[in-house]
Amino acid sequence: MEPSRRECDINDVLDKLLNKGLVLNADLIISVAGIPLLGVNLKAAVAGIETMLEYGMMEAWDKSTREWYEKEIAGKVGIPLTDGEEVILKTLGAIRSNHGIINTWKPGIWYLTNHRLFLWRKEPAETIFEVPLNKIEGIIVRKETHFKEERDELYLQFDCDEVARIHVSSVTEFKKAIEEALTTFLFGKGKSKRG
Amino acid sequence: MNETETVKETELEEGRYVYCIVNSADELSLGNIGIENAKVYTIPYKDIAVVVHACQSQPYQSKDTNKVTEWIFSHNDVIDKATKHFGTVLPFSFDAIIKGNDAAIKDWLSKGYEKLKQELERLRDKAEYTVQIFCDQDKLMRKILDEDPALKELKEKIGKMPERAAYLLHRKFELKVKDAYNKLRAKLAEEFALNIKEHVEEMKIEGKVSHLPEKYKDKKLVVAFSCLVRKDNVKSLGRVLGKIRTQEGYVIRFTGPWAPFSFVRLEEI
Repeated sequence: MEPSRRECDINDVLDKLLNKGLVLNADLIISVAGIPLLGVNLKAAVAGIETMLEYGMMEAWDKSTREWYEKEIAGKVGIPLTDGEEVILKTLGAIRSNHGIINTWKPGIWYLTNHRLFLWRKEPAETIFEVPLNKIEGIIVRKETHFKEERDELYLQFDCDEVARIHVSSVTEFKKAIEEALTTFLFGKGKSKRG
Repeated sequence: MNETETVKETELEEGRYVYCIVNSADELSLGNIGIENAKVYTIPYKDIAVVVHACQSQPYQSKDTNKVTEWIFSHNDVIDKATKHFGTVLPFSFDAIIKGNDAAIKDWLSKGYEKLKQELERLRDKAEYTVQIFCDQDKLMRKILDEDPALKELKEKIGKMPERAAYLLHRKFELKVKDAYNKLRAKLAEEFALNIKEHVEEMKIEGKVSHLPEKYKDKKLVVAFSCLVRKDNVKSLGRVLGKIRTQEGYVIRFTGPWAPFSFVRLEEI
């Protein structure tokens, strides 16, 4: 068998030039250009995400709403927020839990904060699932059959290939919000700094 | 007045886009072959040189995928041409830019000289090759079922049940198949690795392959390796791959030579 470069396409080249090769550090500039088509790694698709987020849910929860929420609501329902943690979004939803042969959907309220994503059950109070933002590696939307009905579900990849299967009512908005929170978390708030 | 002119010119350009490091003691122009037809040239220090073009010290970024793709191809092109011209290169990732003028780059090169030279020597006469081994989906499934009678039984049982009742059992089956599939893949990967090992200097299993050509869409990727291969071993590696290919149901994609993207190592430069 003879090796060949003739059959190589864009993806071979992208893989080498974006994921491999020497990178610079210290006071030198390192950066990745946004290539939405890769879609493998959120961190590599920053520019693409920014476009997608132009009509994200963040607008609905501006700073004052968030502050009000923390003072007035979060305290009363007792969701366990840490210092400096702000809720960006909350929505009803569920997570698929696979323990042995028992596969169920565990319902609760999804909270997306500037630190993490977690599913909270009010009664009895419990954090059913949580993942820090820095552990999130990728999100995809997949069509799944739920009692013969087709619906969109979210697959969240985190912590070296762990996968959580998530259901919320508006999958697209939820995904956008997570991606925006991630972008802000990873790359700072440069854009909104001036307020 | 020539001196002031040079200073002026370098003042305008605040950065250098870095393509690769090569063995060369000369200041050379490689022509307008860079990103957006930028003039590519070498900045030498002792017997090594860095291949660059002058640019602003800000990354190349665009939301236009075609444009970015074109940039990336240009980058790869420069690396290929540099390889042809200079032999071994140490390739840089896309969008690596160093702040400063030629003098600053030379300074940076002098600081990293020992390590860079060592790495160039280590990779001399070697190139990177990618080996992707595919198997027919159906054949893989048959292999899994043949090796696990309990799974085969479960599959038959599901086939006889009404669809709704089979829902949970079907999920269970899927999970088990996935498990078995991963185990089989690991086993096959190990076997292939053992066969390939003696013909390569170094090898890495690629965890993820983001995209594959249309041609392989109905196939399952069993394993992908990046291999660092000595020039005179490429033929023998090809022969081993040919043997694997003639085994039942395997399709192999063997690409290269590439610059040693997966094997170049420098911790602190």
